Amino acid sequence: MNLSRDEVSAFRDGALAAVPLLVGIIPWGIVAGVAMTAAGLSKVQAAAMGVIVFAGSAQLAVLPLLIAKAPLWVMFATGLAVNLRYVIYSAVLAPYFERLSWAWRALLSYITVDQTFAVLVGKYASDDPAPKHWFFLGGSLVMWSVWQLSSLVGIFAGALIPQEWSLEFAATLSLIAILMPLLYDRAVVCAALAAGAVALGTATWPFNTGLLAAIAAGVAVGLTAARFNPGGNGSKAA
Amino acid sequence: MSVDAWVAWALIAGMGLGAFFTRAIFVLPGSHLRLPPTAERVLRYAPAAALMAIVAPDLALVHGALSVSIENPKLIAGLVAFGLAAGTRSILATIAGGMVVLVLLK
Repeated sequence: MNLSRDEVSAFRDGALAAVPLLVGIIPWGIVAGVAMTAAGLSKVQAAAMGVIVFAGSAQLAVLPLLIAKAPLWVMFATGLAVNLRYVIYSAVLAPYFERLSWAWRALLSYITVDQTFAVLVGKYASDDPAPKHWFFLGGSLVMWSVWQLSSLVGIFAGALIPQEWSLEFAATLSLIAILMPLLYDRAVVCAALAAGAVALGTATWPFNTGLLAAIAAGVAVGLTAARFNPGGNGSKAA
Repeated sequence: MSVDAWVAWALIAGMGLGAFFTRAIFVLPGSHLRLPPTAERVLRYAPAAALMAIVAPDLALVHGALSVSIENPKLIAGLVAFGLAAGTRSILATIAGGMVVLVLLK
C-alpha cells in the first residue's frame, strides 16, 4: 500500500493526539485486567475479552454479575446498555467514513472508543476532504495497543496482589470516573440517580434482574426530566 | 473462584458481538440517518443509568443491607471518588484517591 504524505501525517497527528489520553487509559486498563482475573476468568479468557470485546466500561460492568453467577442474558443486557452510547457515535461517524471500503468501516467501527471519537469530531467536519480515517486510525491504534498492554499488566499482576488490598474496589472507582463525563445535563443526572436508587432497592431480585429494572427506571426518569426541562441540551457530544 | 469455560467464552463472544454492532450499526451501512432526539436521549441515559446501577450497590450495600453511614468505608471512599472525578476529570486521580481513602478508613 502506497500512502500519500497527507495520509502519513494524518496518521501521525492522530497518534500524537492520543498521547495525552493515555494517562487515563493505563490505570483503567490495569484495573480491568486485575478485575477480570479476580472475577474468575483465566489469563487467556481475560486477554481474549480485551481483544474481542474491547469495551472497557462494559467489561468492568459485567464482572460483578459474573461473580454473582448472574445468567448470561442479564450480563448481555447490562453490557449492551453500557454500550448504547456507541450507537450515537456510530450515527455521527457514518458520514465521516461513508466513502471508505467495507473493511475500513468495519475496522474503524471495532476500534472506536469515547476519547478518540471526541477528538476526531472536535477536529474535523464530516465533509472535510482530509484523510480523517488515517487520523482516526492513528489515534485508535495507540489507544488499542496501550489498553491491551495495560490490561495484560493487570492480568498478570492481579495474581500477585494480595486479596486484602481490595483491588476489586478500584474497578468500581474506575466506573465512577467513566460515569462522570456522561453526566452532562440535569436530565441525565436524574436518570443516574434514579437508577442508583432503584438498584439499591432491587439488589435482592433473583438473577440480578433488579439491575435491568434500575436501568429502565433511570431511562424513564431521565426522559421525564428532559420533558420538564426542554432547555437541556440533548444533542451535545459527550 | 473460577468460571465455567463455556460461560466465559459465551460471555466474551456475545459481548464482542454487542460491542461491535453498537459501534458499526450506522458506520457499516454508511447510513445518513439522523437520530430522533428522543432516541438519542435514551441512548445517552441508558449508559449513565447502567453504570450508576452497578456503582451504587457496590458503595452502599454491606452484605446485602443498606449502609448509609460514615461507618461504611466504601461509601465514603466512593463519594470522595465522585468528588475527585467531578473536580479533576482524571481517571488516575479518581482511582488513586478513592483507594487511599478506603485503605485509610480500613
